[in-house]
Amino acid sequence: MGILGLSKLIADIAPFAIKESEIKNYFGRKIAVDASMCLYQFLIAVRAEGAQLTSVDGETTSHLMGMFYRTIRMLDNGIKPVYVFDGKPPDLKSGELAKRAEKREEAQKQLEKAIEAGDEAEVDKFNRRLVRVTKNHVAEAKELIRLMGVPFVEAPCEAEAQCAALVKAGKVYGTATEDMDALTFGSNVMLRHLTASEARKLPVKEFSYEKVLKGFELNKDEFIDLCILMGCDYCETIRGVGPKRAVEMINTYRNIETILDNLDTKKYVVPENWNFETARKLFIAPEVTDPSEIELKWVDPDEEGLVKFLCGDRQFSEDRVRSGVRKIIKSKSSSTQGRLDSFFKVLPSSNTPKRKADEDKKSANAKKAKTTIKKEFKGKGKPK
Amino acid sequence: MFEARLINATTLKKVLDAIKDLLTEATFDCSDSGIQLQAMDNSHVSLVSLTLRSDGFDKFRCDRNLSMGMNLASMSKILKCSNNNDTVTMKAQDNADSVTFMFESQNQEKVSDYEMKLMNLDQEHLGIPETEYSCVVKMPSMEFARICRDLAQFGESVVICCTKEGVKFSASGDVGSANIKLAQTNSVDKEEEAVTIEMQEPVALTFACRYLNQFTKATPLSGQVQLSMSADVPLVVEYRIEDLGHIRYYLAPKIEDDES
Repeated sequence: MGILGLSKLIADIAPFAIKESEIKNYFGRKIAVDASMCLYQFLIAVRAEGAQLTSVDGETTSHLMGMFYRTIRMLDNGIKPVYVFDGKPPDLKSGELAKRAEKREEAQKQLEKAIEAGDEAEVDKFNRRLVRVTKNHVAEAKELIRLMGVPFVEAPCEAEAQCAALVKAGKVYGTATEDMDALTFGSNVMLRHLTASEARKLPVKEFSYEKVLKGFELNKDEFIDLCILMGCDYCETIRGVGPKRAVEMINTYRNIETILDNLDTKKYVVPENWNFETARKLFIAPEVTDPSEIELKWVDPDEEGLVKFLCGDRQFSEDRVRSGVRKIIKSKSSSTQGRLDSFFKVLPSSNTPKRKADEDKKSANAKKAKTTIKKEFKGKGKPK
Repeated sequence: MFEARLINATTLKKVLDAIKDLLTEATFDCSDSGIQLQAMDNSHVSLVSLTLRSDGFDKFRCDRNLSMGMNLASMSKILKCSNNNDTVTMKAQDNADSVTFMFESQNQEKVSDYEMKLMNLDQEHLGIPETEYSCVVKMPSMEFARICRDLAQFGESVVICCTKEGVKFSASGDVGSANIKLAQTNSVDKEEEAVTIEMQEPVALTFACRYLNQFTKATPLSGQVQLSMSADVPLVVEYRIEDLGHIRYYLAPKIEDDES
């Protein structure tokens, strides 16, 4: 899933590209949420006594529970979410998907073993590994989102790519996903843990694409090559090249072609017919719907529709659904708080770590002085 | 070497009380013209801009420009250790990683030193353009604090509406609604009690009560407060600190949603 070890690498090389903050600081922001990943998370995490929540006839409802309450949590915090669903997987992903299917089979076998042995912890563990997001789950989630008055987009292909396109077009502020691909696709702002459970009290992690590039000293294409070297969903990697080596190589040779030309083939094995070029193309120009054709509208929730959909067979408590709807309506009625950064421009980084060389300090202070200090002290005598 | 001596430690205490609820940490930028502080709160909705001029200090020396990042809660703890009539002196070496607060009692019989570690803060500075505001209201600071406190009970936001006749503060919520109108005062005995309005164009803006109430923590610093407003730009709430400088709060307005 995503890019192998990228988040750790960013934390090591460009820590300033990651910012942690509370969910409430994202009020007023429109955010594209990777829906498929969300559903998967909910299916795994939303459980009662280890089992998924189900309707009267045993159909899973964990994903709906998660979707309903986490969406309300976002709306309640003034965030305007847009859900983006995966389309068909790109052909290149077939390798990765086959691998995942294999793992699933393995897990299935182990699950059977565990059941035989009666080891409950193991049963639970493998049960979770077998979780799949089915077409039915997706259809139900879409229906729920529609009833809640929240817009969703169906991507032609990968959801992360569509999210990134929306961000680039300025339609939304950022992408919320756990998948680091979003950065490779060029989403300027990427948020992790936005849809995490409130109880876990995880801060939202904001990755800034620009700052990542700056920290790595790479341009967009070089960054994509780095991600491919580290391991993405679309092609294999050179065996023996980990994150650290990948960074070194990109810094020296700037692209994969040159790296291959200079590679010590005795030490590293390049996969046969390595199709990194197609993977690269997929990152540079992914199949997405043109953002200008997408209209995002947040409308009033359909209260009766939601009650009908969630209560009854799906066994949601009517009181809780109705109080949830009230929260949605309330969040829509209040006007949005503005932000100061949208009125005043941030000055070019004038922060001077105080123990740095003095020259730095002087130039920084000169910058600051331009804004306010000068005006304040004009004509005032110095006290010495 | 940086050294700044203030006869009245209480002033510094009041300044800190005025900012410590809004900010957890901040950088004090010292130069030979004085001490400056600019910082936004976590949510980037409001901004504090503090200026203490060097000529307002009893003694002020700053050989090299110095940025001192301080934890405001810790600084507040230290200032609480001072007595009301104490003199305070802030001291730091040029490349120091700590700052010293020295309190001296009036009769010089008691001298206490507190050293605090500094921190490296990564803060964004905003360029604030000089603006001609459509409305500038001056009013007693106590009155403003009272209005903000009272209205906060009715709703999350306050609408400030300023016309020739006067200024109106209103809020509404589940309980009901509240309106407070202040007219321009014709004649007053004390300048501090006057309400004056300079208006080019009438404005009506909506602001979050929560922030206004945090700004009013500066009330003890000044008898008067000045509100400057223009359509669709942040409100400026200014408290002058007599003979020393000022503290300004900027607050982004609430915006009506176009999509809903």
